[in-house]
Amino acid sequence: MRKTIASLAGGALLLTALTGCSGGSDSSAGGPTELTVWTGFTGGDRPGYDQIVKDFNASHPNVKVKMVVQPWDTITQKLPSAWLTGSGPDIAAPSFDPNVIANYVKTGSVLPLTATGAGTTEINTDQIAPTLVKEYTYDGKLYAVPANYATLSLYYNKKMFAAAGITSPPSTVTELLADAKKLTNPAKKQYGLVLADNQTIQMWPILQWLQGGDIVDAKNCSVLQSAAGQASLKPWADAVAKDKISPVGLTGASADALFSGGKAAMEMNGPWAAPGYKSAGIDLGVAKIPVGVDGKAVTLGSTAPLAVSAKTKHPQQAQEFLAYWTSKAAQKKFSLATGFPTLRTDLATDPQLLANPVIATFTAQVPDARLYLPRVPQATQVDTNGYVPLIGKITRGEDIGAQTAAAGKTIDGLTGCSS
Amino acid sequence: MAPSLLILGVFVVYPIGISFWYSLHDWTIGAPEQPFVGLDNYRALASDTQFRNALVNTLELTVVSVVVLVVLGLALALALIGEGRMTRVVRSAFFFPTIVSLTSIGLVWRFLLDPDLGLVGGISSALHIPRVDWLQSTSLALPTVIFVDIWKNAGFVMVILLGALKAVPAERIEAARLDGAGRWQLVRHILVPSIRPTLLFATLILTIQSLQLFDLVYVMTGGGPLFATDTLVNQVFREGFVNFRTGYASAISWVLFVLIMLVSAVQLRVFRYDDVD
Repeated sequence: MRKTIASLAGGALLLTALTGCSGGSDSSAGGPTELTVWTGFTGGDRPGYDQIVKDFNASHPNVKVKMVVQPWDTITQKLPSAWLTGSGPDIAAPSFDPNVIANYVKTGSVLPLTATGAGTTEINTDQIAPTLVKEYTYDGKLYAVPANYATLSLYYNKKMFAAAGITSPPSTVTELLADAKKLTNPAKKQYGLVLADNQTIQMWPILQWLQGGDIVDAKNCSVLQSAAGQASLKPWADAVAKDKISPVGLTGASADALFSGGKAAMEMNGPWAAPGYKSAGIDLGVAKIPVGVDGKAVTLGSTAPLAVSAKTKHPQQAQEFLAYWTSKAAQKKFSLATGFPTLRTDLATDPQLLANPVIATFTAQVPDARLYLPRVPQATQVDTNGYVPLIGKITRGEDIGAQTAAAGKTIDGLTGCSS
Repeated sequence: MAPSLLILGVFVVYPIGISFWYSLHDWTIGAPEQPFVGLDNYRALASDTQFRNALVNTLELTVVSVVVLVVLGLALALALIGEGRMTRVVRSAFFFPTIVSLTSIGLVWRFLLDPDLGLVGGISSALHIPRVDWLQSTSLALPTVIFVDIWKNAGFVMVILLGALKAVPAERIEAARLDGAGRWQLVRHILVPSIRPTLLFATLILTIQSLQLFDLVYVMTGGGPLFATDTLVNQVFREGFVNFRTGYASAISWVLFVLIMLVSAVQLRVFRYDDVD
């Protein structure tokens, strides 16, 4: 008897464990179709995304969307196997890095989106910024829509600027460097411009672009070691290593904490950071990224992909949700709530959006925005094994020539550059 | 018996076996084809500088933390073996970090050690002590992580050894004292040999834990700066879940598995309990 009970208990436990692994989100009979969405939007912009879901549920009684917000790290760890086994969410933002979608396309985990067109229940690809559509299109098929689109602007502490006798934010890269040095005061533990180089949305490419350099060329070959590449890194590496305009080895969170804590005068960041800075009591100014040595404006564009599981039981409803998420009405409301620039071209000149100075600043930079390593093969490893170590070494005073050559070799090996 | 074997098979034996199978392939989760590559992943490890770096870091972390923890744990246990009220309070204080999650500890220490915003930086600044980049310096980051690991586990080792020390027969200690043994001789020749099996247990557990260290490193440094605190499990995570190289990550896991087996076997051999002792 005891043995039978033990066997039954063991069997039940195993059954529970196995069924627990194959959740899925099938709708209950007769009720609305249930869709689960995983995202990592835990920041100050979260209410904006929550509102999109709430409005969708209110206007679509036949579909019920549940958004589960968890740290990006958790999604990174869980999603690949969850989607593979069919137990993952119907829809997910796999990462804040758009390049990650390439891995999911390669493994056949994401559904090609076919519900595109001009209709209100379709994904209006013609009205979404072309850079973003291109970023998520592989072999002519669209695999994700942008969950957001942000540009990086220059946040500055007005009080520190006034104390240093600087009357306006820098408008050229030369002024940016000069101001960063002027605003640095080691005695007060004050930094001119905090520059994160790991676990962050990259800030260093902007500096390189402003100085006329780049990371890879059109053939995905490293140009870091070229004369222009080295020249674009040198002034800023020296500014960190010698002039101490920023601590070395900062993560994005550490840089934000320094700016929020009134220890840094400037930081390049996206619109999601503004609520935190304001609540920290910073006398906040937001300006466009200064123009580069060639007089042209450039900044980094950032977008998180929103994709549908290849194994969802509700592909039509899932795409309907993506269509709603990227719709004109939802995106306008989202921009007004969060300060994000719009991802739709038909909202670029919307007077209501442009009346908001924060949105206007971020929106004005959309035409000049470039993505980080867009469509570069193995972009994640190029970042982790090539670019991040390079910045870490040169900001610690190591030789730029030798380090760019080493990083170039690593990057070329990863991208398959053969020229 | 059968259900236990089934559960063990499904959740332990099968994953271990399949991970070895993965390691023989250029395996990518969900990819339509998983090319068989034989031992290529293991050969690639031999020339992978990141792997070598992570292996050295892991071994350094393990050796230092295990040695310090056993010595410190024993010292604490000997010092706090009494039953006075203060002794109990101090014992509880040392044990407290053991019950807090490693992730929380990592976050708290990362903030405390921030040279610009943390408490340690603030105190050093007030005392005009030069700034120290504990977690940003490539030479200090690993020792700092090891320190936090020791801080977290010292109380655990203390409690285990305390239990063993209290079980040493009082007459044995009394006999040694009557024979004129001093405090050091008592520890060296009576107490330590008496608790040898417990010391072996503590050393084994700590060694395995240290070789598998991930969460503390991930939270405190992410393996940086410049891979200075990268451990084998951190590399497994990066290759498996960030770069999607499941086969390669499995190969690293198997090297770690074999390493743990070897180290454990050596420890069992060296510390074996022998009646002749």
